[in-house]
Order: sequence, then structure tokens, then C-alpha cells
Amino acid sequence: MKRRITLKDIGKLEGQMIDNQKAGLSALPAPFENLDDQPDIKELTASQKAKFDISLDGVSAIGLVKPQTREEEDEFVKKFLSGLKKLLSKENNWTFLQPLMLSLENCAKCQNCSDACPIYTESGRQEIYRPTYRAEVLRRIIRKYLRKEGKLLSKFTGSDIDLNYKTIARLAELSYRCTICRRCAQSCPIGVDNGLITHELRKLFSQEMGIAPKELHQLGTVQQLKVGSSTGTSPKALASFIAFIEGELEELTGKTIKLPVDKEGADILLLHNAGEFISWPEHVEAFALVFDAAGIDWTLSSKLVAYDSVNYGVWYDDVQLARIATRHAQAARDLKVKRMMVGECGHAHKAMLVVSDRVVTGDLNIPRESAIPLLEDIVLNDRIKLDPRKNSFPVTLHDPCNLVRLSGIVEPQRRIIRKLCPDFREMEPHGVDNYCCGGGSGFAIMDNANFADWRDVVASRMKLKQILGAFKDVMSPEVHKYVCAPCSNCKGAIRDLLARYELTEKHGIHYGGLVDLIANAMVDIKGQFIRWDEG
Amino acid sequence: MWLLLLTYACLLIVTAGISWRTYKYASLPVHLRWELYPVAHEIGRPYGGSYLEEQEWWHRPRKINLLGESSVFLREIIFFREYFHSNRRFWSFVYPFHLGLFLLAVWVVTVLTGSILTLNGMSVSAASPDFWLQLIYFLTLVSGVAAFILGLFGTIGLLVKRSFDKDLRNYTAPIDYFNLTSILLIFLTGLLFWIIEDPSFGAARSFIQGLITFNSPAIGPLMTVNIVLSLLFLAYMPFTRMVHYVAKYFTYHKVRWDDEPNKPGGGLEKKLQAQLGQPANWSAPHFQAGQSWSEQVRSDGFPDKAEK
Repeated sequence: MKRRITLKDIGKLEGQMIDNQKAGLSALPAPFENLDDQPDIKELTASQKAKFDISLDGVSAIGLVKPQTREEEDEFVKKFLSGLKKLLSKENNWTFLQPLMLSLENCAKCQNCSDACPIYTESGRQEIYRPTYRAEVLRRIIRKYLRKEGKLLSKFTGSDIDLNYKTIARLAELSYRCTICRRCAQSCPIGVDNGLITHELRKLFSQEMGIAPKELHQLGTVQQLKVGSSTGTSPKALASFIAFIEGELEELTGKTIKLPVDKEGADILLLHNAGEFISWPEHVEAFALVFDAAGIDWTLSSKLVAYDSVNYGVWYDDVQLARIATRHAQAARDLKVKRMMVGECGHAHKAMLVVSDRVVTGDLNIPRESAIPLLEDIVLNDRIKLDPRKNSFPVTLHDPCNLVRLSGIVEPQRRIIRKLCPDFREMEPHGVDNYCCGGGSGFAIMDNANFADWRDVVASRMKLKQILGAFKDVMSPEVHKYVCAPCSNCKGAIRDLLARYELTEKHGIHYGGLVDLIANAMVDIKGQFIRWDEG
Repeated sequence: MWLLLLTYACLLIVTAGISWRTYKYASLPVHLRWELYPVAHEIGRPYGGSYLEEQEWWHRPRKINLLGESSVFLREIIFFREYFHSNRRFWSFVYPFHLGLFLLAVWVVTVLTGSILTLNGMSVSAASPDFWLQLIYFLTLVSGVAAFILGLFGTIGLLVKRSFDKDLRNYTAPIDYFNLTSILLIFLTGLLFWIIEDPSFGAARSFIQGLITFNSPAIGPLMTVNIVLSLLFLAYMPFTRMVHYVAKYFTYHKVRWDDEPNKPGGGLEKKLQAQLGQPANWSAPHFQAGQSWSEQVRSDGFPDKAEK
């Protein structure tokens, strides 16, 4: 029997703390009961192992390169402690200090949160993934190294933990084994938020040590600020995407529908996740179709940053969050629009409507809202002609955590689907009790080394079970089934999950957005808007 | 006399300690929004919806159901509903444990009330001719005995669970056993002094009377031990995580349910503008040394430094 991992092991254990052998993971339902039918997490090559620190679990999310000398290791520890001090100071971390202090000082260690965490339960209850593990390590480091509890007192309070390179490297990786879905916080009777502690750890690493996954930082927020979008789309490229989309719309409807860009004084500035232009242009088309038919006065922006609703800062860095939120608002101010509207992107909802609500002030404090209530208004008040019979296939709804549990937008999307989809079936659990798709907090776009394998096999495992559960009576590939995911990152994670388990090919399970279902039900569109052959 | 002095000192420390802890949390800066749904003061959205479900929500007056919010909070505090629904086995120990502590507080209040009445010449006893005096007598008796028994049961259960449940043991430090054992001794000595020395809690009332009149009361050895243990524990508690009942107010009302929008020109916006003017001295390359949050945000973060 394997020895149980303890808190002290994080700074002591040699080699890899755990592995993620599939035999140890939670069991999957049909048609994946057999381990041979389940995908593996690839072992890294010898050169990758030599390069990256994978001492946590054999996976590298952040691509941390091992230090070469003792001096480098000492410097690493020193920087971490300096960042930790800043994390606990009013000036440097006013943004989250109150919730952080409350969560650091009041955990009763009852472990009530453990069963709420899908990564912990689905990994086969790996101790290091338990929501309290990383939080408790951090608490003990603070007590021993910042409050300077002596040897005897730290033994008594349980803070006798080693702070060395190994501890910090593993903590850095561990801060990217939680999707910050905050189910754990929801289950805590005291209100302690271990998801927040993950968020704060990520901030410490990014804001003090310059450590963050390249997909979130260099290719994410930095690229968005420099080039215009985290996808690398420049304003010029955006124009060609829009021309392509308009061409497709004309082909589909026989009408010329122009996507309004930089229309001054428009009622609405719509912000899409720019990933939609590249990966799911039909989604942008659906918005244009529905808005055009309903006579909505809207515009897109071609201004740097503002044509991409993405704000990865919300997951790992407060200043990057604020920089992007500010630029979104500046574009709206300059266009003199009445309101800003977030398209189907969960984290952009949380970033724009909730978290950065307290970042934009003065003339940048422009009204911001979700597109979903407007879509609800269009559908429920019959502002366009819709025929639910066109959506007669089985549909289930994935609730993006950022939309439901973290922004409180729960029912409008359901009212739309109930009206338009006669064979709607809920996942269990759903609404504010939902499970993350596994791609939350940046996981959907992170693909360093074997991280995407880990995400699909461990982090998305619960979502896989929920999808299979929703469609268990209609698994034949001849029956088209639709997982509606009103969020770009969730769509990305579900796309990869369906591909990894060959669920589209073998079982006819497809995915897409919410507005796509509305467009599909439009009587003005001949045939189906949803292109089943494209996944 | 030493016991009276110890009591005054410990009561002073616990009051100061809890006030300090409350002030510490209350004086922390306004933070960015981090609410978690369901938010209990939302009206008509029991499934966990928010005002963001409405189009142009900023044009509508913000309605908050403070009664509903208080009711959810109180039900959680009184019944431990979260544990009841998600971890019934743990609830069966943690609830009696906390109920024991609540009832102990009720008992102290009834003893204090009885003492004041006695000092005013009234007789708090089962044989008292006045209904209200009898009620105080029986409330004291029931709350005290129930507190000791439930508390003892819950504490033993938690100690056993922390010692043998591997999930809990891994995270339990010597201090946690110390805290639980201290509480266990308080409940145990309380039960013993009631059985052996003070079945009517008359001596307990005498002790409080002594505190009020500054006269040393004559109390038994078991009760003395119980009082000393309770006092030392009270003086120690505000400096530990056992004061999470104070934190719970803030975690719920100031984080989980804090969905107050930042209205243009409002008081919240002014506070935030002041905070954005503070220096942000982080050291990563995308921060500029010596700049305030606002200045950092205005720049793209990399005017002079090459990206690593």
C-alpha cells in the first residue's frame, strides 16, 4: 500500500510526489468502463523531464525550469517570501486582502470542501489535489516564516514545514491544478475560500516572480495588450475574419448582413472572445443573424484589446486584469456607446461584470452587462420568428462556473433552451451547483508538455461523466446530440474532451453555443444552421 | 479574591481580543468583487440568480432582501445546515459540540440574570412563587445541563474523529488536540460540579453575585477548576482560529454576498479611486517600480523591459 502523502512531504519527498495512473482514477461509466478504452497521460520525454520541474505529479503546466545552482534556489525562496509579504500587505494587495486574510486565518480543517472538488474526487482522491492541501501548506509557511514561530511553537501549531525550492516549485505547479471553480468555497460553512487562495498564490508567482503559464501571460495578456488579442489577431486580421463571416452569412441567408464595426453612438458594444472568430466563426454569425433580425443597434470595436473580451488577468494577475478591463472600457467610452455587452464567454463575464467592476472608475465606469438576458428577451418575447421543431435533437446545457456560481446568471439561458429545445435534459448537478468543464481558470488554453492530457483525463473527468449521463439513453451515433456551452473556454475544453474520447465520431455528441441554437431555430434560415459535420 | 481578579482580567482580555480581531477584519480595504451565488439577499431568485440576469440592470432600483439574508445566515448558524446536507456524520458531532457552546452562553446569561434578581432580594428557585423566577431557574438548569452533556458528546466525537479519520488526522496539529481537550475539560468539569457540588446552580449564581459585589464567594473545588479552565480558555481563544464565528460574519456578508455594484460617482467609487492611487510595489518585469496602481494600469507594462 502506498504511503499517504502528508503536508510536510511537499518540501521533503524526493522525486515525483504522485503519478496519475488511470487505474487509480475514478471509474467511468459506459462506454468507458474498460481501462483500455480510456486515454493516457503521456509520460514526458527524457529531455522534457530534464528541462521542466515535474516533481509534483509528472505534469508541467507552467514550464518551470529547474535552477542550476544552490544560489539560484536560495534566490527563488527569497523572492517567494518577499512576494508573500506583499500578498499580505494593504498597499500591494488591497484588491483581495480581506477575503485572503479571512480564508487564511479561519479554516477549521474539517475537509468538508474535499468532496466538492471534482479534481480531487476524480483523481482518485489524490491528497495533493485536495482543496485544503495547498492552502494549508501556505498557512504553515506564513506561520513559520513570516510570523517566525520558534521551533517548539511551530511543532505545536503544526507549522514545521520546510520552505525550500522544492516546496515552492511544487506549490507553483499546484496552483495550476485547481480551476478556481469555487465549489469548495460554496461548501464551506465558515466561508473559507480555498479557490481564492489558489488565485492569490498564482498572483504571488506572477506579480513578484514573473512565473505564469506562457499561454496566460506572454501569449495571453501581454499579447492582447501588444497585438490586440490573446489569439494573436491584429486589427488587420480581424477585418479579414469579419469579411469571411459576412461572406458566409450571405451564402447562408442570401442577404447582405454587415457586421457593424466602430459604429459611434451605437446602443451596444458587443465583445466576443476573439477565439470565436478563429475557432467558431459560425457563433459570431449566429449573433449577427439574431441581432440583425431583432433590429438591435450594436457594434464591434476594432480597437486594440477591445475586439477580444478575453481577460486572463482574472485568473492570475490583478494588474493585467485591470489593464485589459480599462482598455475595454476606453474603447466603449471612445465609441460613445450606451452599454458594453459580453458575448458567450464565462470568464469575460466574471472579469467584466463582477471582478473589475471595482477597477474601472470615472468616465470608464460604463454600464456593462451580459448578452444572455438580451437573447432571452429576443426569444421569449418573440422578437424574431423561431421554430422549436428545428431543434428537436437532444440538448444538454453545460453551466460555465463563471456564469452561474460566480456571476449569478442561471435562468435566462434555461428559459431560452426550454422554449427552443423540446428534448432538453439537465446535467446533474446543474445551475450554481454545476461542475467545471475542466478547462476553467485557463486550463482550456494551456498546453505545455503533457498538461492538456492531464486536463482531459483528470480535470474534465467529471464533466465527461455528466455529459454521458445526460445522453445515456441516446448514445447511438445516428442521433445528433448537442452540448450547449455558452462560454468559449468551456467550448474549447469540451471540444478537446469529445475528441479525446471520440464521442462525436462514435456517439454523435456535438457541442456549441447558445445563440447557435437560436439561429438554428430561425424560420428564415433554410435547413439547419448548426453544421453537424464540423464537430 | 484571586479568582475574582482572574475573572476580571480574563473578561477584559477576551473582550479586547475579540474587538481587536473584529476591527482587524473590518478595517481591511474594500476589495474587488468576489461573490459566490446564491447570494442570500437576492429577491425572487432562490436558484442562485443575480441582478445581472436583467437587461440594463443599472436602470432599476437595487432591491435587497435583508430579512432573507439574515434568515439564511441565522439558519446556518443555528442548525449548521451546510454540514447537515453535505456531511451528516461530521454534523452529528460538530453540531452538538457547537450547540453545547451556544447553550453554555445561554446558561451564563441565565445565571447572570438569576444573580441580579437574587441581589435584588428575589428568590430564583423551583419553589419560587413567581412564574418568571421559576422560569429563570429552570432555564438555567436545562441550558447548563444540556450544554455540558451535548458539548461533552460533541467534543469526544470530534476528538475521536480527528484521531482516527485519516482525512482529518493528516491536517490536525497538536494545537488542535489541545484546543479540543481544553473544551472537553471545561464541559466535563462543568458536568461534574453540577452533579457533585451544585445541582441547582445556586453556587454559580453566588459566584456571579460575588463578581458584581466584589466579594469572594464560597464555591467548591470542582467549580473552581471549571471556572479557571473556562477563563483561561476565553482569554486564549481570540488569538486562535476558534474565533471563526467573528470571521463568519465577514466571509458571508463582506465577501460571499457582497455584490454591491460600483455606481459612477458613488461612495464606493471614491474609495476605490483612493486605493488605486496607492503604490503597487511588485517586482515582476511587467510592474514599474514606484508607480501607483493607476499608473501601472495606464502603461502596458513593458515600456523599457524586454519580456523574459
